[in-house]
Amino acid sequence: MASHVKLSVNGVCKSFGHGAHRVEALRDVSFNVLQNEVCVLLGPSGCGKSTLLNIVAGLQDPTVGSVVLDGTEIDGPARERGMVFQSYTSFPWLTVEQNVEYGMKLNGVPKAERMERASHFIDLVHLTKFRKTYPKNLSGGMKQRVAIARTLANRPEILLMDEPFGALDAETRWHMQEMLIEIMKSSQTTIMLVTHDIPEAIFLADKIVFLSSHPGRLKAILGLEFKKGKDIRDKEELITLDGYPECERDILAMMRAEARPQDAT
Amino acid sequence: MTLAESSAEDIDKAAPRTANPGGARRRKRRLFEFKSDIPASWSITLGILVWVLFFGFWEFAVWQNWANDILLPGPGKVLSALYTLFTEESFLYDVVVSVTRILVSFALACLVAVPLGILMGSFRTVEAFFNPLVSAWRYLPAPAFIPLLLMWLGASDAQKLALLFLGVVWFLTTLIMDHTKSVPADFVRTAVTLGGNRLQVLRTVVVPAALPDILVAMRQMLAVSWTYLVIAEIIAADVGIGAMMMRAKRFLHVDQIMAGIVVIGALGLLFDFLLKKFHGIAFAYLEENVR
Ligand SMILES: Nc1ncnc2c1ncn2[C@@H]1O[C@H](COP(=O)(O)OP(=O)(O)OP(=O)(O)O)[C@@H](O)[C@H]1O
Ligand SMILES: [Mg+2]
Repeated sequence: MASHVKLSVNGVCKSFGHGAHRVEALRDVSFNVLQNEVCVLLGPSGCGKSTLLNIVAGLQDPTVGSVVLDGTEIDGPARERGMVFQSYTSFPWLTVEQNVEYGMKLNGVPKAERMERASHFIDLVHLTKFRKTYPKNLSGGMKQRVAIARTLANRPEILLMDEPFGALDAETRWHMQEMLIEIMKSSQTTIMLVTHDIPEAIFLADKIVFLSSHPGRLKAILGLEFKKGKDIRDKEELITLDGYPECERDILAMMRAEARPQDAT
Repeated sequence: MTLAESSAEDIDKAAPRTANPGGARRRKRRLFEFKSDIPASWSITLGILVWVLFFGFWEFAVWQNWANDILLPGPGKVLSALYTLFTEESFLYDVVVSVTRILVSFALACLVAVPLGILMGSFRTVEAFFNPLVSAWRYLPAPAFIPLLLMWLGASDAQKLALLFLGVVWFLTTLIMDHTKSVPADFVRTAVTLGGNRLQVLRTVVVPAALPDILVAMRQMLAVSWTYLVIAEIIAADVGIGAMMMRAKRFLHVDQIMAGIVVIGALGLLFDFLLKKFHGIAFAYLEENVR
């Protein structure tokens, strides 16, 4: 695994509104994401995870600070930073295949290559049989897989995901997590993913960036040493690993510590 | 009609009373049940029943001589008047003229409202510029412009087209703007993070996402168009369905007036049906089980 810095978040602050209505969402957040690393943003609800991800995507501008991808400061949304949302975004008027080709079409990828790449990524997310199906006939998990394939087929430098499995039921959710692990193994990608599901974070992450709430500040960066160098493919394997319970307990304690002051208000 | 409801109904139908030994007694189907579906056969029967009652009441009123024969002809007389109108009084020409007025004016209104509504719904700057104008015009009743239009354009076709155009274009624009605004923001955000520029996003996401609702808005406003057609043709016209009805009034041909009403109703239903069918075909992907 190459270990050069892919993306760096430098002193990002973000506030909304003015005067009395001013809400400070993020305060001085800095961290790096390495090449091919999966960086999970974790933290209590409302701590600014989505805001930070939107800033990385270029959908929002930081009030102070900058985000640098491959040595270039980002300015607005671009193909290099493809995003998958919690809401289903597979376009209903396009078939699965057309959805996956969509991003490549925007970027003028020639038809032959487009079709080849689309079928590769459709296979990767196990939707081969549904190539010609419209999203209306797909389940929530399948729609999410379309969105993931569409973004990956567009070859982003970093894949951004905001609670991509948040709307799915528990079983579909771990299927999706295992599929994502599989994808990460086969196609090298740098990923930044937001979740508030602790086992999901531990399962997927190489590094967890934990934000505290109101305003969102960097509270801890967790390296997950206990699973370093191990080839974990399913959840049972993870849960039975030495060090997993401690890790989960530590994160839970941090979550609780953050949630408490909020309860008082 | 959700999946859960329809399957619950199927089970309901399939299970005979005896097949429920000792269990909870099957709930009786009530005539009036909030928001619950009724069988297709039932809804067709009710739909026919209302018309049978309508015509029955009409015949009854005529038979009882509730009103003068001239003022209240029976359904049979109206039908024969309709036949005579088409065979002897070149009513077909009036119908063609009226339909042409509707189609031309509505096409012009769409030509303005569709692009304007989409742009207003997409860009706040465009909305801020046009909305004060569109809102103000929307609240002005189009018939208020008839005297002005008559002075500017005379009792011409152009005057009628202008009235029909003014009658629908503002509402249509507003409806299309609202439908465009309700295109999910995450669709747009997805497209821009895939590298789409503004024109691409507008063309490949906003327009296709809003189109099904835009067609629904058109269907609604086409119905309104018919209202203004009758107003336009009653006031100053030589040809058209409304003009025929005013001619008939002069000669106390109530049966012909009623025949005119029937034709307007039938045409309105036909257009509505055609647009609905077209919606189903053009946006088949919105239905389940379309591959
Ligand atoms: N457009 C906005 N205008 C005003 N305040 C905002 C806006 N967007 C976010 N906020 C505020 O910023 C804070 C962080 O919001 P954000 O959506 O980033 O949190 P989050 O960590 O993603 O929460 P969740 O886990 O619920 O998704 C919240 O207090 C929210 O109310
Ligand atoms: Mg969020």
